[in-house]
Amino acid sequence: MTIEAPTILALRKDPRLLKIPPYLSALCIVIGIVWLFLLPLNEYSRHTYISENALLPGQVHTYFGGSEQNVFNAYKHEVQSLLGKDPEVIAAQLSNILRSVGLKAATQKYHYEAAGNVHSGENAYAVLHAPRGDATEAIVLVAAWTNMDGEPNQSGVALALTLARYFKRWSLWSKDIIVLITSDSKAGPQAWVDAYHDEHSPDSADPLQLKSGALQGVVVVDNALDHRFESLHIVYDGINGQLPNLDLFNSAVAIASGQMGIGVSLQRMWKHGDSYRERLQTMLRGMVSQGLGHASGPHSSFIPYHVDAITLQAVGHGWQDEMAMGRCVESTFRSLNNLLEHFHQSFFFYLLMQANRFVSIGTYLPSAMLVAVNFTIMAIALWIQSGRPPKRRAGSATVDMKESEVEVVRKEGMVALVPTADLAIVERQLFLPVALVVAFHFLGAVPLYVFNNTQQEALAQTLVFFAYANIVLPTLLAIIISGFTTLSSHRLILLQCFSLLLLGMFLATLATLNFSLAFLIGLLAAPLSFVGIAMSADNGDAPPELGTLRKIVSNVLLHLLSPPVVVLAVCKIFGADTGATLAEAAFGWKVSGLRTQVVVCCVWWPAWLIGAVIVSPGL
Amino acid sequence: MRRFYLLFLSLLLAVAATADPQYEEHLHLEPLPQGLLLASFNFKSNATLQSFEQQHFKYIPRSLGQILQHARTKELHLRFSSGRWDAESWGARPWDGKKEGGTGVEVWAWIEADTGEEASLRWITLNHALSGLFCASLNFIDSTRTTRPVHTYEPVGDHSNTSLSNLHLLHGTLPREVVCTENLTPFLKLLPCKGKAGISSLLNGHKLFDASWQSMSIDVRPVCPESRSGCIVEMEQTVDMVLDIERSKRPHDNPIPRPAPADQLICDTSKSYSSSEACFPIDMSSMQSWSLSDVFGRPIKGSCLANDIRGDRSESVCISVPYEHQVFSSQGSVERKDPSSNHRCYVLPENDAFEMALPQQESQAVLPRPSPPLYASRSFTGHGQERGGVQSLLTNPSPNAAVSFTYFETLPWFMKPYLHTLKAQIAASPSQSQEEIIKSIYYRPALDRQRGTQLELQISVPPASTVRLTYDFEKAILRYTEYPPDANRGFDVAPAVIRLHPDPANPSSKAVYLRTTSLLLSLPTPDFSMPYNVIILTSTVIALAFGSIYNLLVRRFVGADEVESFSLAKVKARIKGRFAVIKDRFSMKKEKKTQ
Repeated sequence: MTIEAPTILALRKDPRLLKIPPYLSALCIVIGIVWLFLLPLNEYSRHTYISENALLPGQVHTYFGGSEQNVFNAYKHEVQSLLGKDPEVIAAQLSNILRSVGLKAATQKYHYEAAGNVHSGENAYAVLHAPRGDATEAIVLVAAWTNMDGEPNQSGVALALTLARYFKRWSLWSKDIIVLITSDSKAGPQAWVDAYHDEHSPDSADPLQLKSGALQGVVVVDNALDHRFESLHIVYDGINGQLPNLDLFNSAVAIASGQMGIGVSLQRMWKHGDSYRERLQTMLRGMVSQGLGHASGPHSSFIPYHVDAITLQAVGHGWQDEMAMGRCVESTFRSLNNLLEHFHQSFFFYLLMQANRFVSIGTYLPSAMLVAVNFTIMAIALWIQSGRPPKRRAGSATVDMKESEVEVVRKEGMVALVPTADLAIVERQLFLPVALVVAFHFLGAVPLYVFNNTQQEALAQTLVFFAYANIVLPTLLAIIISGFTTLSSHRLILLQCFSLLLLGMFLATLATLNFSLAFLIGLLAAPLSFVGIAMSADNGDAPPELGTLRKIVSNVLLHLLSPPVVVLAVCKIFGADTGATLAEAAFGWKVSGLRTQVVVCCVWWPAWLIGAVIVSPGL
Repeated sequence: MRRFYLLFLSLLLAVAATADPQYEEHLHLEPLPQGLLLASFNFKSNATLQSFEQQHFKYIPRSLGQILQHARTKELHLRFSSGRWDAESWGARPWDGKKEGGTGVEVWAWIEADTGEEASLRWITLNHALSGLFCASLNFIDSTRTTRPVHTYEPVGDHSNTSLSNLHLLHGTLPREVVCTENLTPFLKLLPCKGKAGISSLLNGHKLFDASWQSMSIDVRPVCPESRSGCIVEMEQTVDMVLDIERSKRPHDNPIPRPAPADQLICDTSKSYSSSEACFPIDMSSMQSWSLSDVFGRPIKGSCLANDIRGDRSESVCISVPYEHQVFSSQGSVERKDPSSNHRCYVLPENDAFEMALPQQESQAVLPRPSPPLYASRSFTGHGQERGGVQSLLTNPSPNAAVSFTYFETLPWFMKPYLHTLKAQIAASPSQSQEEIIKSIYYRPALDRQRGTQLELQISVPPASTVRLTYDFEKAILRYTEYPPDANRGFDVAPAVIRLHPDPANPSSKAVYLRTTSLLLSLPTPDFSMPYNVIILTSTVIALAFGSIYNLLVRRFVGADEVESFSLAKVKARIKGRFAVIKDRFSMKKEKKTQ
């Protein structure tokens, strides 16, 4: 009979201990999800406030209006006469108009190729030297020729030109003002800001002839409507989920809704009644946008350079005209002009639920951390289990105890009888699991390369082919590997342990940078911690056997949540063209520095692959 | 009687000997394109070296003269500048850049001393005294902001060879200094008329500091002309400014540039859409009329020191406009037009106010200014808080002559350049070898917290090409107390000074100075709330730990029934007992005494 002493040391070897971690992991995931749903409540979210006292948003009189409307109309006619022409002609005429205002103007050509599509054009920009300034800082007013929806941004460009002329007459600017009109909304601003910091590749973008000081803030104007608008839609997401300083957003909201009386909306929530449901929806939309990390406007390219930027977009039918939008921009620029230091006071990591409600990272981070920690808990549990000697089967435990299986242990005058099996030291065979984990993670570079370098027409089919390949790939790999070495349960446990450890570590780190991506990947990869060898004492060292039902369920669940299937399903649900989405991702990789594909292909997919190999029928 | 005659004659001779003008002032006005006006005020005061050393101050103010004598400064150049000179639109700099400094304050002086340390001490004395005199923070020019340039500056005064060997050149800059009225007022107080008469009466803080570019300079130097036997000390004060005429004309109580009424907009009527609703504006700023009181806010009040200047009074105000333009001036002034040089000069009336007005002309022509020999601009490259790069673009516009110059940079010690990454390339053809562009390098490395980097490059730019000069640097993390109050703004890096060498073939060519703009270097900042957090945390921990351990050591638990109950009667009885004991003692003493 085994002697069981009820001390903590004996508890360490208690087989019931290892039953807890799966429930603990599940509890962590549930708490993580529930935490997120608690955030929109009033007790857990906060009102927005202006942290940088120098900004003083909405405290200045704005004088834009009057005869500026006539000038705006003239510039709008000019813009309309340029519609449909070549980018070179457009840029040349725009820089002529800017020169006629009295500014120094120049153009910049760029040419990018991604997924077989060519993104090229010519940006026109002008620098308004602050009359009494010292050329060390600059703020930028951007208007893209076509906005994110592909519509011509007529009023926006005309407004930028009118504001350039209006700003020239003021002598109170402490920073230079750069007026930038890009050919499109994504590649153009990226080319310009890369060249401004001299980090462009010479064959993609020309260097800039005119430069000013360090960029302090960027405001993008987007008004493709030809009628009066109702409210301003503020877009603030940047590349890789990086967000601008909350003070800039708060200033724009304070000016638009406070001083000018124009409503403000965000995350395409046109009607926001400040109910729990709408707050949650805004927050989740923000999380999706942040998780995907793509460019959501011309401002997105500036944010990775630590330059805070937002886009003001006119939406709806109402009675606010372009002069109202011009006054908003003027007031925002006056606030930016007041800045003594770079934006540093307010939050850089936040989730907005409404124009004046937010949660900061200290409040929302635990939810993604819990989801990531669940993998680590399972990894630790698996490690402990791999160190345990394999137990006898339940059927043959007590009856066949023989003399030779029990040892006598003498220590300090005490004598005990201990089964030999308990004293056996289990050597962990680390090489194969570690090598496999590393190999699979490097294997992720293959789909990464393929999806970033395929033409757009072939992308959808490639994805479908990849999804089909994923069904057979785990079984194939399992067969190949077991052809070389045996995949004992011990090795499988260690394989899963290292894979989950790596996944937990990576997701926990990613949560500090891109909370939403870590949370989403953690949720989608959550089944990985529950498939595999059951955490029970009834394991033999015979070939591993999962219950057949458990194995089937695990396989189905895993294949339903494999990365390509998820991508296809999401595209289907949101009605987006798969090829266009993947081409967008390839563009992001080549041009904007988007790194979401690295997480999907090199972290999630290899972890999924390892999980699928463990439960594959090939073993 | 004879003695009187002799005395009178000698006095006359003495007066005649000193009949050279000891003070003269000059204002030069030059319209620039796009409705701007360049105004150069120049004030020159003389004193003989003898009278200077004997402390007989007349036109050179005592406050400045005594400072220079105390600090043994033989030549001083002090510059206050703000704004930026737009070389592409405005041409060559006034005075060939000799009377301007980099943004902020720039000072360099030749100090007489035996050793370098003595010169540094006198330099500090000089700066502290000047700081008090000019209300500028010159006292912040310490060893980290001082350099000793080798090739960039030459003494403009006449020094004897023996004194030259004892002279040390020290140069300091403060790019962050904001120049404003509190610097203008002491500057004007140094003038003989103190800004109340003559052309200095036009200088007004509101207009001067609304200018697109302004520079105030003070130069004190010894001059030994051949015509005289002794040397003189010359002090020259200059104020240059580029004013925006339209902005200056706005009334003082309503300076806001409101949009003009629709009927006052000047439209381009050739456009197809031109109507009452749509107006493509034409910039008519260069064709407006202006006058001295419009632009400066007041006319010139008389002339300064008219009685002291003998002989023909010199023309004080000159304006460069095309010959056919009309210029009106007030009564009492004498005009002289020079048909060949487009100069028009006026002699100011003694006591009356002088006004000059230019009406709207038919032609917009502005006299072209000489083109600058070099265009220079400097900017940062890269982003992030660890490292970056500096890029200077130097353009030689001349089609046939190469230009060679000294490029002088002084970098703060926390900006550590890697000199092996210094590269100079022709922007159009990067293959040309570097040795032909950078002829020599004078590099004095930085010492942390003691002095900055000093870099002087001799560069030659081929004709009609642009040289791109780049180098990488690394940013240091400063100590917690070394950050200024606005730590997240960044630190200013002084402008680069470029000195073009005079052409050896041409004896009359002179050195030309250019300066780039200053740069803003953003350094990583620590979390300034950490000292507070640490104090709070450790105090809490110590309080809890101390409290707990003290209780463990000292506290004694007793059963509740063992505790003596507290009753007031017992306490009273005890006190009474004590009193009784004391009473007994006293009464026993008394008894002993009485016994």
